[in-house]
Amino acid sequence: MPPLAHEPGHLGRRRFILTLGGGLAGLALAESCDVRWPADEAAGPGWAPGLEERLNSTCLVCPSRCGIRGRAVDGRLVGIGGNQLHPLSRGGICPRGAAAVQTLYHPERLRTPLLRVGARGAGRWRSLTPNGALTFLADRLQQLRAAGRPEALAVLAGYCAGSMDAVWRQFLRAFGSPNYVADAYPDGTDAIMAAMHGIPQRPSYDLERAGLVLSFGAPLFEAWWSPLQAYVAFGRPGEERERHPRFIQVDTRFSRTAARAHEWVAVRPRTHAILALGIAYVLIKEERIDADFLARHVAGFDDWLDDRGTLQPGYRSLVLRHYRTEEVSAATGVPIERIVGLAKMVADRGPAVAVCGADVTQAPDGLPAGMAVHSLNVLTGNINRPGGVLFRDEPPLAALPPAALDAMTRRGLARSPVALPAPLGAPNARRLAEEIAATQASPVEVLLLYYANPLASSSDGATWTAALSRVPLVVSFSPFLDETTSQADLVIPDLLPAERWQDGPAPASYPYPVWGIARPLVTSPGGGRSTGDLILALAARLGGTVGASLPYVDFEALLKARARGLYDARRGMPFGDEFETEHQQQMQERGWWLASAPDFEAFWTALVERGGWVDPFYDHTDPTRLARTAGDRIELIPQQLRRQADGAEARDPYRFRTDDDRTADAFPLRLNPYRMSTLASGTVGLAPWLAERPTTFPEVHWIPWVEVHPMTARELGLGDGAMVWVVSIRGRYLAQMKHFAGAARDVVNAPYGLRHPDGTLANPLQLLDGATDPLTDLASWCTTFVRLERA
Amino acid sequence: MTDDARLKLRALPDDARKLLAPLVETTWRFRAAATVLGAIALWGLTAYYLQLRFGLGRTGLNQPEYWGIYIIDFVFFIGISHAGTLISAILRISKAEWRRSITRSAEFITVLVLGFGAIQPIIDLGRPDRLLNVFLHAQLRSPLLWDVISIGLYFGASTIYLYLPMLPDLAIIRDAGIKAPRFYRFLAAGYRDTPAQRARLERVIGVLAIVVIPIAVSVHTVIGWIFAMTLRPMWHSTIFGPYFVMGAIYSGIAAILIAMVVLRRAYGFHEYFRAVHFDYMGRLLLLFSLLWFYFTFAEYLTAFYGAEPAEMRTFWAKVRGPFAAPFWTMVTCCFVIPLALMCRRATRTPGGTLVAGVAVVIGMWLERFNIVVPTSVNPRFEFESLGHYLPSWVELSILAGTFAGFILLYMVATKFFPIISIWEMREGREASVREVAERVAGYLPPEPVAAD
Amino acid sequence: MPRWGMVIDLDRCTGCAACEVACKSENNIATVAPEQAALGRTISWMRVMAEVEGEFPNNTLRFAPRPCMHCDNPPCVKVCPVEATYISPEGIVGQIYPRCIGCRYCANACPYTVKYFNWYAPTWPESERAHLNPDVSVRPKGVIEKCTFCHHRLQKAREEARAEGRELRESDYQPACAEACPTRAIVFGDLDNPRHRVSELRHDPRAMRLMEDLGTEPKVYYLTPRT
Ligand SMILES: Nc1nc2c(c(=O)[nH]1)N[C@H]1C(S)=C(S)[C@@H](COP(=O)(O)OP(=O)(O)OC[C@H]3O[C@@H](n4cnc5c(=O)[nH]c(N)nc54)[C@H](O)[C@@H]3O)O[C@H]1N2
Ligand SMILES: Nc1nc2c(c(=O)[nH]1)N[C@H]1C(S)=C(S)[C@@H](COP(=O)(O)OP(=O)(O)OC[C@H]3O[C@@H](n4cnc5c(=O)[nH]c(N)nc54)[C@H](O)[C@@H]3O)O[C@H]1N2
Ligand code: SF4
Ligand code: SF4
Ligand code: SF4
Ligand code: SF4
Ligand code: SF4
Ligand SMILES: [Mo]
Repeated sequence: MPPLAHEPGHLGRRRFILTLGGGLAGLALAESCDVRWPADEAAGPGWAPGLEERLNSTCLVCPSRCGIRGRAVDGRLVGIGGNQLHPLSRGGICPRGAAAVQTLYHPERLRTPLLRVGARGAGRWRSLTPNGALTFLADRLQQLRAAGRPEALAVLAGYCAGSMDAVWRQFLRAFGSPNYVADAYPDGTDAIMAAMHGIPQRPSYDLERAGLVLSFGAPLFEAWWSPLQAYVAFGRPGEERERHPRFIQVDTRFSRTAARAHEWVAVRPRTHAILALGIAYVLIKEERIDADFLARHVAGFDDWLDDRGTLQPGYRSLVLRHYRTEEVSAATGVPIERIVGLAKMVADRGPAVAVCGADVTQAPDGLPAGMAVHSLNVLTGNINRPGGVLFRDEPPLAALPPAALDAMTRRGLARSPVALPAPLGAPNARRLAEEIAATQASPVEVLLLYYANPLASSSDGATWTAALSRVPLVVSFSPFLDETTSQADLVIPDLLPAERWQDGPAPASYPYPVWGIARPLVTSPGGGRSTGDLILALAARLGGTVGASLPYVDFEALLKARARGLYDARRGMPFGDEFETEHQQQMQERGWWLASAPDFEAFWTALVERGGWVDPFYDHTDPTRLARTAGDRIELIPQQLRRQADGAEARDPYRFRTDDDRTADAFPLRLNPYRMSTLASGTVGLAPWLAERPTTFPEVHWIPWVEVHPMTARELGLGDGAMVWVVSIRGRYLAQMKHFAGAARDVVNAPYGLRHPDGTLANPLQLLDGATDPLTDLASWCTTFVRLERA
Repeated sequence: MTDDARLKLRALPDDARKLLAPLVETTWRFRAAATVLGAIALWGLTAYYLQLRFGLGRTGLNQPEYWGIYIIDFVFFIGISHAGTLISAILRISKAEWRRSITRSAEFITVLVLGFGAIQPIIDLGRPDRLLNVFLHAQLRSPLLWDVISIGLYFGASTIYLYLPMLPDLAIIRDAGIKAPRFYRFLAAGYRDTPAQRARLERVIGVLAIVVIPIAVSVHTVIGWIFAMTLRPMWHSTIFGPYFVMGAIYSGIAAILIAMVVLRRAYGFHEYFRAVHFDYMGRLLLLFSLLWFYFTFAEYLTAFYGAEPAEMRTFWAKVRGPFAAPFWTMVTCCFVIPLALMCRRATRTPGGTLVAGVAVVIGMWLERFNIVVPTSVNPRFEFESLGHYLPSWVELSILAGTFAGFILLYMVATKFFPIISIWEMREGREASVREVAERVAGYLPPEPVAAD
Repeated sequence: MPRWGMVIDLDRCTGCAACEVACKSENNIATVAPEQAALGRTISWMRVMAEVEGEFPNNTLRFAPRPCMHCDNPPCVKVCPVEATYISPEGIVGQIYPRCIGCRYCANACPYTVKYFNWYAPTWPESERAHLNPDVSVRPKGVIEKCTFCHHRLQKAREEARAEGRELRESDYQPACAEACPTRAIVFGDLDNPRHRVSELRHDPRAMRLMEDLGTEPKVYYLTPRT
């Protein structure tokens, strides 16, 4: 606005009108600028009826890997629905799956390879041709081998279960590097199974046939391994009340899972395990345990004499000694009658399956806590039974050819990996960063990032910044310029899932092996190459051991070759409707098998058309699915743990601290990070549909928020909707205050992974205090205390 | 104005000279005020242009708060419009002699404000470009259409009702030749004030006065029905028709009072707007403040006593919730202040009535606000989140622009038309005294003839 | 003549909002900018309405996914001055976007607040216009819109059935929200056709309609949650 006249006296009329006019024009201009997106009345693409195509595929947005059906018109993907034939999802989808069309056409997605020209992170790039990028990368890798340092190549991958994982492993093995770190959503449940069953594998939960689903913090309806599996189990089993599993959610907050489960048991943070053992106490006291099962298959229940002849307390003694109902009630905040009621329900409404969420295991004593939860399944003998905890097989895919090795490869593979795993864990990204950042000369010279954005997703961004600065060549395959990708030297953007071939095996939580096929629903308008295809081409270009180990023209060919294993296995079937699937299952139960296709080509065609393969049969009689420990028994006090730990802990793993250091005055509130169902781990901005309404309650849009009990907020003088800083000793971030009566009085519920509309991350995980579970190396997510400050 | 015009003016009889003076003389104050008002109106127009260009998003409206300032203004202005025609018609029919100096200014308010009121719903439209659809696809079941019809009728009738009684005055101006001869010749339409013409005119005015009353009543009834025909809490009420009519007259009286005080001061019409006028109008205002209280009390008590949850949400929002401030201000402005001032003769003065009138106008605007907004933000569907409403600067500018535009036009009108009827004054002086004496005599038993 | 209606089983619904997003995708519903959303101008023909009641740790949730009720006696239709909202002979309450004058009277008249207004012209980033569904028109600024029971799907299904010379089957015409729902909480069909599941479900003892006392005769039924 032009300044108003300042001369004393009166304002000339002309002057006045001019000023006013100028002001109006200025205002008009300012106003028109705040139209955020270009206003276009008519929609672009022609509205004439186009050529329509519907294809089945697999959603790769989250680990659930549901069946989807894409609808393309004239080569544009206009909608994603469910695939009725997919055994896990049965035609259903979740909001993220449907919103994947918005990611596909995201305005910021990259289509051509970029080579950094300015300083790192300065945002100056030069476009490369796909071939140019391939040559550039191949040359650098050749140099590593020429220098005799193949182990200086490292790959950090996000969730890529299935053949992409196999390809990366094969590629690195043939190249000669042991440095593969895959963040395959470690939640510690595999460690629990390894410790107690000797089966280092994530458990499956037969939710659909359970009578009671007792979830300890597992966000079944939000961010579980497969929300769709939980939805189907919750919602589908017909009208008969009897077959309807009852869902009970033990949770620290009134999550959507808690709200929609049949019952919600509110517990204090870090006390899930105590409640589990409190239930065990009642079961033992009232002799509602499966004594027969315990006697035949379980060790460590009763006291026993060890090698040195001292009496060691068994699970029963430990529980009876420490988990009297009153004490449990006092610790967890759950009333005594409720605890007894829960135990009754577990006993009466069986099969009762206790599901352990990563939230239980993301704690300093996460592994034993998870064991405590799982011990309920053991007490009720609900292992390997319908409606219980199962250990299912992987789909019998044809293996990749054995990796060809030469002397240099062998030398490289013999070197110790940069990131060593914890005793019961897997190598993880944080360790990798710490090792790289620790020395001046980085042990990693070329770092490939696949589906990984550690600068944003790691709980320790600073270490990752330091680590990246030490690595001479950082390559990202992300189709988006996320935080880490912007710091890369070379970006070779992947195609998006709707444009590429990949496979999507169902997560372990689902009791039957499922192999979903993701296939292009549309062709990428900009050309481009999927990372899978690129790696195969890179292998061919490198030749030698690598070329020989990955002899596939493209990913589709690789998938087809692997599908041969399914065809030859003489079990399972291409996806079919509910009737067909049940029929096949009944046949297989009786030892029969129905061939679905006359030859492999027809089989492959059926797989692609129907979306994948499933074996709907589970062998409950197989003893190897119970325990593979030394004594073939399930160990309630695992020997392996005794070897790892020592002292009191080893004798009694079931003791928990709940008195986390609350730096009382400075940081009075416990941070309770959680993941929403609309967030797909991805740290890319949410699809607008989801950002607009990320949660069904409370009313929020776009802005990252924290939930605080209204009384707590009022005591702090923070109104609903105020912007606040969430501050811990480690850092702070900006969020909007939401009063929420479903939050405990002394916690801050903080959804993570959200971004502000301008793209800045609001990441509660970067506030974490850095505690970990020494056994699994999982970060502790609920021991951090914060305070709120008005922004 | 030219000296010639001044000379001609001076030659006129007393009433005409005084009442036509504003047509000839324009003070610098008038110009200054007009400039400021014009600027505000222009500002409002610019705001509307922005809204037109970008969409109703420029307002503070949202879901479920679909109606705001424009609809409030619509109801408010149409309410004010009951000032003139209706009141003047009632006074005319009831032969209230003190009306003579008041009717014209009141009728002008009606016609002008009606126009400004009628454009409010158009400003409020998402697609003003499709306005004609209202006729092309008219759906008579919709109360909005009833409104279009009754406002149309009312506008037509009021314009005629303003124009016809002005004919003799227009003829006077034409004959005096003080200003734009062709314009007044055209407007006066050959009226010569012959006794026959005068008689016919008075007959037509008499009929019009009767016709216009039901139309005016229908207008605000139908506006009340726009709300009452929905199922929204505290809108769905049978009292709304009469309540709106009563409120409209109330605000109309207040508007006339303000106009009287201002005109009296601005043009020195002290002899025309006399203490008695303010006294009588003040009594009317008093009557309506009581009526207002009665209606409001009945309305709120019914809602409160029935205690239907959906209604109670809105009820409490007004009485002690987020809308308590506008609600209690409304009660103060519509009831406490006018009652206190108008119940005593000592304050039924120009000053007192001005204060009361302004209070009532503000209060009645707030009443419309309190009807439209609290119900809008408290939807019946209990799952729907509560709305909120903060009018945007565009709405406030249009609001200001409308007020400014109306006042400006009214001011300009006083420059072209005598704002007090010359011939009615004259007629009053010549005929009424006798007529009233006869009429009063007619009320009484015949005087006994004195016995010898 | 069919009378299309919907039954939503609140016992199965998990509040996942797949129906919401599927509807947005199917019907080209515009996303609004963040500051517009903060003003309460988001559009969602289907919305999972939820209200948290009680105090920690005794909270309960009342909720309902809410499309247009397609009232048999629709108050919104009565008040429209230009008949831009109408009820079809098969009971689908529709909108004529090119005729609507944007007075929002219908929105005020709808007791279920299911009508949404285009405060601005819909805007999409260039690249995202690619996923617009060509079967559904994009609304201009200044008009009202709402759930249409995906009636473009009915037209298509009719044409297909006619081309194949057969009757319309229940599965031929399913709206996007019902299709997406992972728990099959949404059942859609002809309320008067005994072979359609809705006609049976609406007589379930758990069946109720929202604000039935208003006499709007909604054609969306809810099955109350069992506890
Ligand atoms: N929808 C969706 N599903 C996903 C993913 C996704 O991105 N989206 N990603 C996958 C990935 S990467 C992962 S790692 C998993 C993550 O799944 P989870 O590991 O289950 O993690 P969250 O969903 O964050 O769940 C954290 C929960 O822990 C609870 N909690 C907070 N404090 C405590 C405490 O003191 N003790 C206990 N026991 N619990 C507490 C919180 O209330 C919250 O409900 O989900 C997988 N599934
Ligand atoms: N802020 C935040 N931090 C987190 C989490 C969170 O949700 N929010 N979750 C935590 C958990 S549980 C985990 S497991 C880790 C996960 O953390 P990461 O393994 O880093 O995984 P994402 O954050 O999902 O990021 C993957 C990146 O992949 C890219 N990408 C997206 N689509 C494609 C594609 O089709 N192809 C390829 N090649 N790349 C693609 C995107 O750029 C995205 O930034 O993060 C942890 N930290
Ligand atoms: S649950 Fe996961 S895999 Fe399934 S549709 Fe949603 S995002 Fe896709
Ligand atoms: S999709 Fe189904 S389960 Fe999910 S919110 Fe909608 S109705 Fe409920
Ligand atoms: S729910 Fe509302 S919009 Fe839908 S038909 Fe009924 S009144 Fe009309
Ligand atoms: S907004 Fe449109 S559809 Fe609604 S009443 Fe007005 S003209 Fe009719
Ligand atoms: S019926 Fe169609 S338009 Fe209506 S809510 Fe469902 S998907 Fe949306
Ligand atoms: Mo994860």
